[in-house]
Amino acid sequence: MEKMTPLYLPIELITQILLRLPVKSLICFKSVCKTWFTLISNPNFANSHFKFSESTQTLRILSISAIPTQIRSVDFEVLFNNHSNSLNPNLSLPQSYFPLQIKGSCRGFIFFNCSSNNYIWNPSTGFCKSLPLSPIGSNFGTYSYLYGFGYDHSRDDYLLASLYPALAADVSSHLEIFSLRDNAWKEIEDTPFPYWSPYHYPKLGLLFNEALHWFVSRSSSLVDVIVSFNLMERKLLEIPIPSDFGDYLLDIGSWVFGEFLSLWAMRNRIVEIWVMKEYKVHSSWIKNIVLSIDTLPTKCFFPIYSTKSDDVIGTDDGSGLVKYNNKGHLLEYRTYCDDPRGSQVVMYTESLLSLPGDHEQV
Amino acid sequence: MASSSSNLISLKTSDGTVFKVERALAKTMKTVQAIIEEADANIYMIPIHNVFSHHMDMIIDYYKLSVAGKSKEFSVEKLDNDELKDFLLAVHYLNMEDLFEVLTQAVADRLEKKSVGYVRKYFGIENDFTPEEYAAIRKKNDWAFKGDDIEPEEDEEKQEE
Repeated sequence: MEKMTPLYLPIELITQILLRLPVKSLICFKSVCKTWFTLISNPNFANSHFKFSESTQTLRILSISAIPTQIRSVDFEVLFNNHSNSLNPNLSLPQSYFPLQIKGSCRGFIFFNCSSNNYIWNPSTGFCKSLPLSPIGSNFGTYSYLYGFGYDHSRDDYLLASLYPALAADVSSHLEIFSLRDNAWKEIEDTPFPYWSPYHYPKLGLLFNEALHWFVSRSSSLVDVIVSFNLMERKLLEIPIPSDFGDYLLDIGSWVFGEFLSLWAMRNRIVEIWVMKEYKVHSSWIKNIVLSIDTLPTKCFFPIYSTKSDDVIGTDDGSGLVKYNNKGHLLEYRTYCDDPRGSQVVMYTESLLSLPGDHEQV
Repeated sequence: MASSSSNLISLKTSDGTVFKVERALAKTMKTVQAIIEEADANIYMIPIHNVFSHHMDMIIDYYKLSVAGKSKEFSVEKLDNDELKDFLLAVHYLNMEDLFEVLTQAVADRLEKKSVGYVRKYFGIENDFTPEEYAAIRKKNDWAFKGDDIEPEEDEEKQEE
């Protein structure tokens, strides 16, 4: 049987194959040859690859523990199928960036703060850039406030949001947005932010439907609402919370459950999960699951991710990941970090993306 | 036998075999479709260069499975690396979207956890980095080379061939 075995595939074929590889493999294969290095480092390739893998990519967890400083990137599937108890640290940042506080993640980038500097970091490419602090922020010091990190695709721009709540009824609050493209902070003047955060630690805004969401209280009436800030229109909107949400909660947070905006509410022994079946429609809130957190050593649980079969995966605010099924039964518990103080945890995807305006090859 | 009056199109592979395929199958080959549309008169036989009869056998298998809604059952596992590359080139030439997706993904799956040396051999690529350049890239991206499931790299010295 006559067979032609050409040794070389044309570059457009190779590109098609590379688009279907995960980020980790692509980073390795940069070292195959100079052509591949250039191809994989090209921002256009990174954009195509990101679009291509957006729907199929598994979200991962980035866990950063303090002492010793260790960074782990954890794939949920691997963790729950793996029988060893903890995973080795597999990412690194120079020591000068510690101690740090994670403030968000978007399209493969992590937004963190260290000392008094803000940084955007892509753990996959190693790229790290410092960004100016907001002018108001420097005045406020370290008051508890709300922040967020998102992407405005109409401008191909990354945005940081900083909200300084009204500390008293007659003091105004401030909402500032940093645009990467403009490289500047700007206060959103004509959008008053008459809210404050009911919980005394900084809260990260949930990126959903191209808006950042925070659980807040109206300073005038102490009514709780979800406030959403649309990144394209730069407008604030209130979203009502469920009527029978209840009081005496230890903590509340928002996350995405499947395709829906969801609130979790932690009480003494349980966590309730509420889902908004129709975005912005008050009557569509339903109490979906109630989980018992009594058996967890930390008696704490924050959902962060839902699987295709509606299992709820979250962190125990320590060093473990916990999986419940959609009936609230505890399925599995895995530790991923040795530090008993736990670690900061954020969900992220892997990407080769570079920031708009940066053409530095990494 | 004129092909216009029947539902079958005749395709002649590089090794001289004639395949009579359904018009619907020929339609999935954009290259063939373009030839048919460009012809003023009806064509008796369409030659498909770079495509051999063993490729056509697999293409017909895939077609039959996808018509029956079982395209996920199509497998190229039994092909060795060169055969798979070869088949990919044929499908690329014929410009067949779905099968092209399947094959590029199959190649990607085979490369995913392999070493850089393996990938170079696979594509017949020469390492044109100096040892220093290579070492610098490796050091910068060290995290990506670690992991239980990844094939270990060969020593740096072996890279120069």
